[in-house]
Amino acid sequence: MKNKRLVPWLMVLPVLVLFLSMTIYPFAFMIWSSFRQYDLSKGAETRFIGLANYFQIFSDSTAIESFKFTAKLLAVAVPTELLLGIGIAFLIRGVRGEKIIRSSLLVPMMVPAAVSGVAWKMLYNYAFGPVNWFLSLFGISKISWLGDMNYAQLGIILIDVWQWTPFVFLMIYAGLQSVPQDLIDAARVDGADWGRVFLHVEFPLLRPLILVALVLRIIDCLKTFDIVFMTTWGGPGAATHTYSFYVYKVGISFGWNIGYASALSVLLLLVSMLLVNIVFRLVRMRQQLGFGGEER
Amino acid sequence: MKVILRVLRYIVIATCLIFFLFPVYWLVITAFKPSNEWFTWPPRFWPTQLTFSNFLGAKETEVFGGTTGSIENIFPYLRNSIVVGISVSLIATVISASAAYAIARYKVGGAFLAEWIISIRMLPPIVSAVPLYVIFSRLRLINTWWALILSHLVIVVPLGVWLLISFFREIPREIDEAAYVDGASTFQTFFYVIFPLSAPGLAAVAVLSLIQSWGEFLLALVLTNDARAQTLPIFLGRYITGWRVAWGPLSAAGIVTMLPVVVFAILAQRYLIRGLTFGAVKG
Repeated sequence: MKNKRLVPWLMVLPVLVLFLSMTIYPFAFMIWSSFRQYDLSKGAETRFIGLANYFQIFSDSTAIESFKFTAKLLAVAVPTELLLGIGIAFLIRGVRGEKIIRSSLLVPMMVPAAVSGVAWKMLYNYAFGPVNWFLSLFGISKISWLGDMNYAQLGIILIDVWQWTPFVFLMIYAGLQSVPQDLIDAARVDGADWGRVFLHVEFPLLRPLILVALVLRIIDCLKTFDIVFMTTWGGPGAATHTYSFYVYKVGISFGWNIGYASALSVLLLLVSMLLVNIVFRLVRMRQQLGFGGEER
Repeated sequence: MKVILRVLRYIVIATCLIFFLFPVYWLVITAFKPSNEWFTWPPRFWPTQLTFSNFLGAKETEVFGGTTGSIENIFPYLRNSIVVGISVSLIATVISASAAYAIARYKVGGAFLAEWIISIRMLPPIVSAVPLYVIFSRLRLINTWWALILSHLVIVVPLGVWLLISFFREIPREIDEAAYVDGASTFQTFFYVIFPLSAPGLAAVAVLSLIQSWGEFLLALVLTNDARAQTLPIFLGRYITGWRVAWGPLSAAGIVTMLPVVVFAILAQRYLIRGLTFGAVKG
């Protein structure tokens, strides 16, 4: 009997050890160092400084800059992705070649971010890039997409929209497949036009899915790093520093200020954990895993 | 009126397709363009001559600074990506399967353990990058395959555990019980009965783990520093910083980095979508 209880624990042991050593331990280390003066560029010794690292965040202009840009991504890129994704899902429903269109729309999402960074850097090229060529057809003069204060942020947002609209599209498209056709037919028979069908039949059924898409996109937006690293490297100035990118700069690329980077990370971790909690509720994670609630 | 609307609809769809596919198209054709077509105005949308010199190296590209003429020097990075990717894929499949089985059948650790493991997937990797750097450098594991394998496992295992829990839950309990009645132990049941039955799920986890490890950027960037351990995405990152970038070889390297991921991703589409949306979409 004793053995029966031990074996399952042995089976989770590898994963348990992995996560204890690779997440709990680092996080504990991070929280510990966030309260300390710990700057490798100023020597290896550390000392306790209370909340000073946390206070520093609010007087650090680059940190605030990165807050702002991340907020812009959330406020502009995410809603655009949602609207476009939903729009395209409705648009291609019932069109000839639906399946092929769906599969090809997945491609941007699957391309590794490092590769899409390369592709977009070529597209945005000032002198020879196709984007500027396309604009020149409309008489718009060349734009320095990644180097200009006014356009670099838009440039990054556009890449994000390109990469992640397919994700939203996919979710909504799959959701649309599961809307019962007879429900739509019934509404049609009752004289509803497609606008009403959307508003009163399809949208209410899709709402939970749209909500999950929204929160998942917010979580991913907070992680935005690769594309910034590959294209603008945060510039010009600090214009395209995302929060993740700034943490990287402070902690690794030239800061070596482990203490301050840790404080920034703790903040990000807290926000992310909150969002993850929301997602788990939305997708009913517990029930999916077979704990509590009604068993399927 | 109806005809106009239909035509309009197709035009909008075509525009969307162009927007979403053009960047990939551009990368692919640039990889096959000879160096005199990399920088032209107007840009060449239909290359007139195709070449493999960006992949294989050739005399004519030597002119271009000499150092970045082709991607001949990609091999160490390709090797690192393959070694790390396959190791991650194999280890992740085995340990996720055994953990998922224990959770699905024996409820080990309760909802808390399961949710904790799965939630790790959503956390921003930058949060662990700084402490992992410090820890790995104390262990002298910086710039080794092990640093990448261990840190990539953390990223891929949660998804594997989650997918396999839902997989195992679809296998009727009666099958396990029949095996016990015949005298099999827990391990034997797992290996000889459940493993074969869940082959598609295991394959999906292996493929998804490989894809994620292959494309992972941030941790590979932080934990490695030269060709001994750097993976393909980092190779691309190094290539792109430079005063004048050789687009041809860079795109060729991009194709090498992208191709396995896209192919595998399309093969494992269903599970990928299920996993990315945490079951909100069944795929």
